Amino acid sequence: MDIIVTENLSKSVTTSEGVLHILSSIDLRIKAGESVAITGESGSGKSTLIGLLAGLDTPSAGTILLDGRSLTKLDEDGRALVRNELIGFMFQSFQLLPGLTALENVMLPLELKGDYHAETHAREWLDRVGLAGRLTHTPKQLSGGEQQRVALARAFATRPRILFADEPTGNLDSQTGATVIDLLFDLNRENRTTLLLVTHDAALAGRCERAIRLAAGRQLCTD
Amino acid sequence: MHRLRLALRLLRRESRSGELTLLTLALLIAVTGLTAASLFADRLQRAMSTQTAEFLAADLVIESADPVPADWLAKARHLGLKDAQTTEFSSMLIENNELLLASVKAVSSAYPLRGQLKINDAEHPAETVVSHGPAIGTVWLERRILSALKLKFGEQLTVGEKKLTISQILTYEPDQQGGFYSFSPRVMINAGDLEATQVIQPGSHVHRFFQFSGNEDALSAFRGFVKPQLNPSQRLLDIHEDRPELGSALTRAEQFLGLSSIIVVIIAGVAIAMAARRYSERHFDASALLRCLGCTQGEIFRLYCTQFAILGLVAGAFGCGFGWLLQEGLFLLLRSLLPAQSAGPGIASITFGISTGLTILFGFALPPILRLKRAPPLRVLRHELEPLPSSAWLVYGLALTIICALVWRYTGDAKMTAIVAGITLAALLLLALLIFGFLTAIRKVLPRMPLSWRFAWQGILRHRRASIGQILAFGITLAAILLSLMIRNELIDTWRQQLPENAPNHFALNIFPDQLTPFEQSLQDKGIKSSPFYPIVRGRLTHINQTPVQQIVTKGSQGDSATHRELSLTWSRDVPEENTLSAGSWWNHAEPGLVSVEQKLADSLKVKLGDRLVFNSGGRQFEATVANLRTLRWESMKPNFYMIFSPGTLEAFPYTLMTSFYLPEANKDALSALAKEFPAMSILEVDRILRQLQTLFEQLTQAVNYLFYLASLAALTVLFAAVYSTLDHRIHESALLRTFGASRRLLRKTQAIEFFCLGAISGFIGVLIAESLSYALYRQVMHIPSHLHRELWLTAPLASAAVVVVAGLWGLRRVINKPPLRVLREI
Repeated sequence: MDIIVTENLSKSVTTSEGVLHILSSIDLRIKAGESVAITGESGSGKSTLIGLLAGLDTPSAGTILLDGRSLTKLDEDGRALVRNELIGFMFQSFQLLPGLTALENVMLPLELKGDYHAETHAREWLDRVGLAGRLTHTPKQLSGGEQQRVALARAFATRPRILFADEPTGNLDSQTGATVIDLLFDLNRENRTTLLLVTHDAALAGRCERAIRLAAGRQLCTD
Repeated sequence: MHRLRLALRLLRRESRSGELTLLTLALLIAVTGLTAASLFADRLQRAMSTQTAEFLAADLVIESADPVPADWLAKARHLGLKDAQTTEFSSMLIENNELLLASVKAVSSAYPLRGQLKINDAEHPAETVVSHGPAIGTVWLERRILSALKLKFGEQLTVGEKKLTISQILTYEPDQQGGFYSFSPRVMINAGDLEATQVIQPGSHVHRFFQFSGNEDALSAFRGFVKPQLNPSQRLLDIHEDRPELGSALTRAEQFLGLSSIIVVIIAGVAIAMAARRYSERHFDASALLRCLGCTQGEIFRLYCTQFAILGLVAGAFGCGFGWLLQEGLFLLLRSLLPAQSAGPGIASITFGISTGLTILFGFALPPILRLKRAPPLRVLRHELEPLPSSAWLVYGLALTIICALVWRYTGDAKMTAIVAGITLAALLLLALLIFGFLTAIRKVLPRMPLSWRFAWQGILRHRRASIGQILAFGITLAAILLSLMIRNELIDTWRQQLPENAPNHFALNIFPDQLTPFEQSLQDKGIKSSPFYPIVRGRLTHINQTPVQQIVTKGSQGDSATHRELSLTWSRDVPEENTLSAGSWWNHAEPGLVSVEQKLADSLKVKLGDRLVFNSGGRQFEATVANLRTLRWESMKPNFYMIFSPGTLEAFPYTLMTSFYLPEANKDALSALAKEFPAMSILEVDRILRQLQTLFEQLTQAVNYLFYLASLAALTVLFAAVYSTLDHRIHESALLRTFGASRRLLRKTQAIEFFCLGAISGFIGVLIAESLSYALYRQVMHIPSHLHRELWLTAPLASAAVVVVAGLWGLRRVINKPPLRVLREI
């Protein structure tokens, strides 16, 4: 069953030099549980695409269906609800809240969902990513790899059906990056999450079941 | 419910991480300052009214020619008020073939309700303070009556038909009325002996004073009950109307208390606005992430509002506590000057502190919270995306509404509110444009500046909007404190001038024209310098332009009071000292039939230039045309007159003369000599009233000083906090500059110049706003002559620059001292 479907998805912005087409006519069908890499050069529209698919931004034209629900027909609050129910995120810059400890950062999405056992679940997830001993550390006190593992635990903690990962190893050295990616794929397999991973890295893209390649806002091919 | 728990948890985590420190500090200062100022002002006002109530010997007095209805007294007692009664009349005393017109006062047993009497007897020349009048069968009198009537202490004095034993010499009574010119020596008897004197017959000219004291609510209820029932011969006495020399000082002090509260409100508002803005900017990422995790805008708004409300309540409660402690401390410092049984702080003021804190918090923090909820979720992917700022109308409109509401609440003075709000708003708009223009001009000369100056100005210009905001915010804080300083100095100077050393403290009255030369000679022999002599003709104003005055005056007004009694009329060739013409012109030498009227009385009687006034003196009528109107200082302690006539108008009427002079305490003996030499003359000793005034002014000065220190302390702390709230981007840029190889010396110099320029421009803006506000307030509200404060134009920008430089460099010290990479990682 397709969990993500787009038809004729386009995004353009008006600048002082005229209309700039960032994405043009993207048609996608992604099955539930599938892992898909989105690749392309800088400025090819990868982050814009992931932003649209996650409902963080609105398209200029076309439709997006997430688990059968049309994102394009929802207002911002409706899209927020969809994110709350279906989606998890990992970002290149980790996006951990600086004032909160590792444990509290993982607890946050669980608390937003009203999970009464948020702390227990967050501990389990941090244990799962190997950070059981770093619960009370704030992001400043953690290395880049550790921060991304906290982000990983946070992303999976709510058991999302879709996980969007935007260059998750972009800020990490290759060895640390590899550890985080192994963990990401392990967790993804265990939870049968649909994974959409934006990356420059061909090797990393190769670990996904298929890859969608973008160039200048157009979908070149699906490998 | 779980959202509230979440808000609480987030708040706890945030407070631990230090994100809320600045906002909490600003809020704490706001509530502490407001509560302290409000409690202190409230207590001081009540203490002052207790003190000033002494001047009436009660909290509320009804003056009436006849006894008041019994149900009035019953109502007062029902409300829990205490009451006393005094009856005053003139009576001729005859003893040992000597005649003396005395002012007799019969007092009930509860008199005085406020203040105390001072007496002494033959054996104890030192004064004794007592809280009651003479016992039945006894009389207390002024010492000069003894010499005038050749009586001795312990002998009997006949008042009307009643013989009374002279038991004490009366040296002070709190409610000695200021009608100096009809003054004759005081005889005080017990109200129980009044009937036996048989002096009061139907139609006798008697003043009855019904005095009441009690708590404010009961007094206010009683005032409301009595006022509509007063007949034309009755009136309520009020300290502001009946002792104008005290009234104006009190009004100004009350206005200053109000103004200090406004200043704390404005300073607190600026601090909260800056702290909330910083908080909001530092939380764009968190808000975007929350939206990314599925929070709706409404949920985010409620989440932050709940956190702010909890923070407001907690900081408010602590602020109230600190504020209470602070005002207790202030009161303790002033205790020696205040009446022993001064009022405790009002509970309403405490709860008011918290609610005001919350109001200011939301008034100033709402626009940043609204902006926070609009943080785009896409910011998690594209960090450069920022939410649109709240509409300027919302930001300034809300802040201005809150300030106006609070200013109005604190002062109850719509005019002051409108002036403060109007000028501040106009100044802000105009100044924002001016600063914008100035910064644009600076940009043009930038390439010609030395490196450190160029870097410093670039720092300001790069964030031009933020810099203008900071300059205006610092400027307003400084303006507030400068205004407070200006008005404080002005008030203290006014009070000092009002009672200069060697101000006349005695009035000589009833000097017959043929005694003038010997009297002047006698004063000269004793080394006493007097003010000019004024002739006095007693007369009553009866008609204005052929209409009886009673048909013109409003009940209870000043005009009503002035037309119910005989006035002291005088004539003068020149405008008396301390009198200023407000309309018309003074007369030339020989223009009989003209009169000059005191401005406030003219207003009350609706008298205009050219009106024809008819007077009656001793059964003879005469007319005069209003040539000019005058303002004067009742508090000058010199002879002051409602009506002054041109020479040639009154000379045909029998008259006496009066003057005032200064006599030091050590030369009091000269008074007895004068009394012996001129037995018909009366001397009124006002030195005790003057001392009362001086004590009051000392208290007011101290209070005003402490309030000023309180406001300054709040402003200084806020200025420090505000500078801190602007440091984030400076830390980032300085760390980058260090990475690129800028020396610590260059950085420090650049930062110092940047803060110096910001501080100096803010200081200049502050003086500009403060001068405009003071000009308007002096002229429109406080009625003090306004002038430019030249010394502040240099000192204020320098002082402001110094504070901003110190605060800024202190905040940036870690950028200078720590390795840049560590600083960048910590941001």
